[in-house]
Amino acid sequence: MRRAIIKTGLLGAFALGAIAAHAEITIGLSLGTTGPGASMGIPYKNALQLVPKTLGGEPVRYIVLDDESKPDNAAKNALKFVADYKIDALMGSNNVPASLAMTQVAAEAKVPLIALAPLPQLAAEKHKWTFVVPQPPDLMMSAVAQHMKSRGIKTAGYIGYSDTWGDLVYNAISALSEANGFKVVTNERFGRADASVAGQVMKIIAADPDAVVVGGSGSPAATPQIALVERGFKKPIYHNPGTVNLAFIQTGKSAAEGAIAPTGPLIVAEDLPDNFPTKTVSLDFVKRYETMFGAGSRNGFAGYTYDGVLLLDAAVTVALKKAKPGTPEFRVALRDAIESVNNLIGTHGVYNMTPANHNGQDERSRVLVHVMKGEWRLVK
Amino acid sequence: MNTDIALWMVQDGVVTGAIYGLMALALVLVFAVTRVIFVPQGEFVSMAGLTLGTLQLGQTPGTVYLLVGGGLLVAAVEMVQAARLGLLRQRLPRLILAWIILPVAMAMLVVWLAPHKLGSWVEMALTLGLIVPVGPMLYRIAYRPLANASVLVLFIVSMAVHYALTGIELAMFGGEGLRTNAISDWVLGSGSMKIGAQSIWVVSASVACMVVLWFFFERSLYGKALRATAINRVGARLVGISTDLAGRTAFLLAAAIGALSGLLMSPITTVYFDSGLMIGLKGFVGAILGGMVSYPLAVLGAVGVGLLESFSSFWASAYKETIVFTLLIPVLLWRSLTARHLVAEDEEE
Amino acid sequence: MNRSTMVLGGAAALIAAAPFLIPDFYVNLLNYVGMATLVALGLVLLTGVAGVVSFGQQAFVGMAAYTTAVLTTSTQLSPWLGLLASLALVATAAVLLGVVTLRLSGHYLSIGTIAWGIAIYYLFGTLPGLGQYYGIDNIPPIRIGDFSFDTPLTLYLLIWSATLAALAAARNLLDSRPGRAIRALRFRSAMAESFGIDAGALKLVVFLYAALLAGVAGWLHAHFLRFVSPHAFGINAGIDYLFMAVIGGAAQVWGAVVGASIVTLLREWLKDWLPKLFEHTGNYETIVFGVLMTLLLFRTRDGLTPYLTRWFPPTPQPVPPLATPVLPRRERPPVGTVLLEAQGLHKAFGGLVAVKDMGLQLRAGEILGLIGPNGAGKTTMFNLISGTLASDSGLVRLRGERIDGQGARAIARLGLVRSFQHVHLVSQMSVLDNVALGAHLRGRHGTLAAMLRADRRDEAQLMAEAARQIERVGLGDSMHKASGSLALGQQRIVEIARALAADPLVLLLDEPAAGLRWNEKQALAELLSNLRAEGLAVLIVEHDMEFVMGLVDRLVVMDFGEKLAEGLPLEMQAHPAVIEAYLGGVA
Repeated sequence: MRRAIIKTGLLGAFALGAIAAHAEITIGLSLGTTGPGASMGIPYKNALQLVPKTLGGEPVRYIVLDDESKPDNAAKNALKFVADYKIDALMGSNNVPASLAMTQVAAEAKVPLIALAPLPQLAAEKHKWTFVVPQPPDLMMSAVAQHMKSRGIKTAGYIGYSDTWGDLVYNAISALSEANGFKVVTNERFGRADASVAGQVMKIIAADPDAVVVGGSGSPAATPQIALVERGFKKPIYHNPGTVNLAFIQTGKSAAEGAIAPTGPLIVAEDLPDNFPTKTVSLDFVKRYETMFGAGSRNGFAGYTYDGVLLLDAAVTVALKKAKPGTPEFRVALRDAIESVNNLIGTHGVYNMTPANHNGQDERSRVLVHVMKGEWRLVK
Repeated sequence: MNTDIALWMVQDGVVTGAIYGLMALALVLVFAVTRVIFVPQGEFVSMAGLTLGTLQLGQTPGTVYLLVGGGLLVAAVEMVQAARLGLLRQRLPRLILAWIILPVAMAMLVVWLAPHKLGSWVEMALTLGLIVPVGPMLYRIAYRPLANASVLVLFIVSMAVHYALTGIELAMFGGEGLRTNAISDWVLGSGSMKIGAQSIWVVSASVACMVVLWFFFERSLYGKALRATAINRVGARLVGISTDLAGRTAFLLAAAIGALSGLLMSPITTVYFDSGLMIGLKGFVGAILGGMVSYPLAVLGAVGVGLLESFSSFWASAYKETIVFTLLIPVLLWRSLTARHLVAEDEEE
Repeated sequence: MNRSTMVLGGAAALIAAAPFLIPDFYVNLLNYVGMATLVALGLVLLTGVAGVVSFGQQAFVGMAAYTTAVLTTSTQLSPWLGLLASLALVATAAVLLGVVTLRLSGHYLSIGTIAWGIAIYYLFGTLPGLGQYYGIDNIPPIRIGDFSFDTPLTLYLLIWSATLAALAAARNLLDSRPGRAIRALRFRSAMAESFGIDAGALKLVVFLYAALLAGVAGWLHAHFLRFVSPHAFGINAGIDYLFMAVIGGAAQVWGAVVGASIVTLLREWLKDWLPKLFEHTGNYETIVFGVLMTLLLFRTRDGLTPYLTRWFPPTPQPVPPLATPVLPRRERPPVGTVLLEAQGLHKAFGGLVAVKDMGLQLRAGEILGLIGPNGAGKTTMFNLISGTLASDSGLVRLRGERIDGQGARAIARLGLVRSFQHVHLVSQMSVLDNVALGAHLRGRHGTLAAMLRADRRDEAQLMAEAARQIERVGLGDSMHKASGSLALGQQRIVEIARALAADPLVLLLDEPAAGLRWNEKQALAELLSNLRAEGLAVLIVEHDMEFVMGLVDRLVVMDFGEKLAEGLPLEMQAHPAVIEAYLGGVA
């Protein structure tokens, strides 16, 4: 019995080895396309249909594996990419713990990782191999905090997911609160698929804050929005970049009107002033995305994958001069090249990498948007 | 916490609890007839909610493929079985009508009507027509071949079916949730004591289902006979009730209750492709508190879970699930010690 | 060296060789399989063998992973101390939870495990100091001196040593005195109690072992992945472990390996193959996984292991040598001593009086028959005496000691053993094991000794005793057959052998001759006569008059819950009230 299993295992292993025949450049993406993070993971994956078919002029092969948004699966996928597919760079995942899990593998295998979720400060060795595409949460939420300051808001209620995303947004907004002269007075949590958030909302209303910050994403973020509006909360409701998509508006319907959120510029590409640095790239991307996936389907998540590939494209061009794809030397060269990417214009912003800053974005990578007449529009 | 808030929490808890109650009813029903702990019960809710939501957007819901695909699969299974028994020729016309022509006709009707946005009532009827037949199909495909297996194996099959259905829903509807339009915006009362029409609908439906099921199973001959099949298969067959018919009826009713719950709750709660498990699980908890046999107790247990959830989400929302599930243990202990062994157990080999 | 030892040895050799034959990634995958096997093995014992369905194992995995993670990152403690701390915490939690949830019955228990599984998952994310929902990062690898377990290969050796040790321990356990008792828990806990087996305590022991296995897996998980986060310990993980146990075959130790391999590898392969079949069109892994699992259960309801082991021819089992030192026996009181005495027993069910003011005496070296028409209350009386039912009033003495109100276990310890009207054998277990179960109280070694195989002398004695009793009742040829495969009449005889293995002073037999053929009845009568000659006291409830009349010394006749008459068989046959009752009963 054992023998039978080991034998099948071996056969399977060889069969897989055989199909992992080498393309010129191979990129492995681990994304949560099923499981609780699927609504984010799917657009991340969709973007792959729009990315260039070559990197630095060489043909490229993208391999996507599902991690169900679970960190141990993401680590497993990353290991498989490294061992089986001999990839030149890793990308992923769409949620924080899963991406964190991949940083470990990247550092150990010495493969550059393009992280597609915002990450906390990493240990030196992991930091060395990891580059983060999304804007850091404090950069994003500082737009909210400044807006709140400008409106003289003194107290804010918080309600977010009972998961990493909820923690992330809460930590960011709390860290910014003092400098911007307001206090976060509640830390309510809800589950993505909870039937009701009445309890949390009542507690916030009882605390009577000047504004509410929601740490949710997409359609589930509409649940507290609707509950607050239904209970007669008339003050500003702020969200975070995760919320900015069509599903939020479709779910929230009229209650979604007036919701404010920070996001990458691509969401409101049309509204951007013509001199905005990313306007051309952002507009081109959302047009192509919506042609393929339907009007209004634009979202920030797909932009992260796209920008990640743009980063790789720029870096591969440089790295190809030093080594051949598929070799350890190439991966080192690629890492070095990403670290020196300069003034790269993506859909979300302008990337200037340095050894210390592996995100390289600045305030040009975020705008404030709000829901107006059933659409996300730039706050002017 | 003042009275206003308390009242509001009670109302919220009762409405959520009523939905769990509907789940609990269906779970008790299926268990009583087939000994299946039907974990995927919540899947009918999310499928119905998402189907209705998609129809309201004027699009064709993916459930049309599910209905046609399921029908074809059942037809294939039935044909193989009939052929083995040498009855293919006799059964073929009925099989084709029931499992191929009817589902295809239903699907075509939906495809034809979907873009016209004919209003809530038509869309709800279409949704029921799409979802309810899936119940008996599921029984025929996944459970019928295992009719004599142990409760544990049936439970594990339920988990497998849950995985498959959640995957199908993700493929059909995507990861984002949908919220449907309310049947009416009418609101009772004012100030902090507002009760929406939809909430009243949900609670009444739960109570109505409970009463109907209770009468059906406790008072009607057919209902009693259905119950008998779970306790004694051979005996039931001897008095002319086939396990097959009983199972199909139970799953039909369960799918109907699930789809109805989905229609009722989708205007007040956003429904996602994976909403089913938690709703089903909490319904299951209610059902267990009711000893898996009593309809009124199951609803009561479910409402208890709803209330507990509502209040703990006010007091300490981060610990909500922890509180709800930890408090459950003493309640279970109490139920386990007081309830005599009403639950059919695996003690018999 | 028996067959399962050979299979184990072969498997161990293969497992040891595997990492040198396959690529690193697959070594890693096997590491996952190994860790999952540990948890699934716990479930095999808990669910498949002892009948406790638990959805909460992932909570123990998480608890251990978090404990070692916190200790080794914040205080730089050695992972080995982390292991000790993890296991200590898991053990404490398991005992506390076990004491509460194991008292729940049936589905209450399952939902109880779901409840604490979910409760603990959310605690991992919310309790301060556990890194919120991110979890804890930068966990050091396990080290021995300067050698650190941080490559797939070294981890493989560590993980699979632990897994193989656990498998061997579990296999040893099941093939031992406590193991037989555990195997009886699922279907026959009432019977187990009547042979002095403490079902509650045993369940707790199994629960503890399963939790500790999960704890070891959690510790390995933390130092293997080098980070922990709550996501790995959600309710889905718990369901997955149960999947593994059931798919593999929840009744066999090997089921854990088979199940863990299938579930883990299948998931990986689906991930590789499906995107190639359906490029860019969706995510079908979960659908296909669910469908395949269902199909698998259609084909192999008891899991895959029985299906796989069918390909191996069974090796003949040796007959236990009878020459081992014989187990010490109880001192026998002289013939004629009153051993069992019942006075004024009364029992009503609701308004219905089943037994009214009944009394009887049973002496050493005597066979007493308890007869009466159907519904006379014989079985109720029998249950009152044996302690299965509590009487409303009256008392029962065994060798002068009050036994009414004492549990079945205490009564068994005093030397009273019963058979059951409906056969209570563990049908998958061999006749030999079933009979050895009877001698439970005559062995000493517990779970730990059994796992370490320190119980072999004790075990040989028990098996020899069981074999002796089986020979004695004339079923020597069927010793190694599954008891469920015997004819019903033979199963009744096995019950008697099992009772004899307990070395009783008083034997209560409930309709032992039912379903026996004529010559079998003759043999049974002869056996009972021999027992009488040895000074045993036997009480028989029986319908078969011919059998009873030729055998018993005295008769007690019951009707409508009361004693109708008492005396020698011939007297009773002529007793007018008895004739009336029987004729009335027939008419």
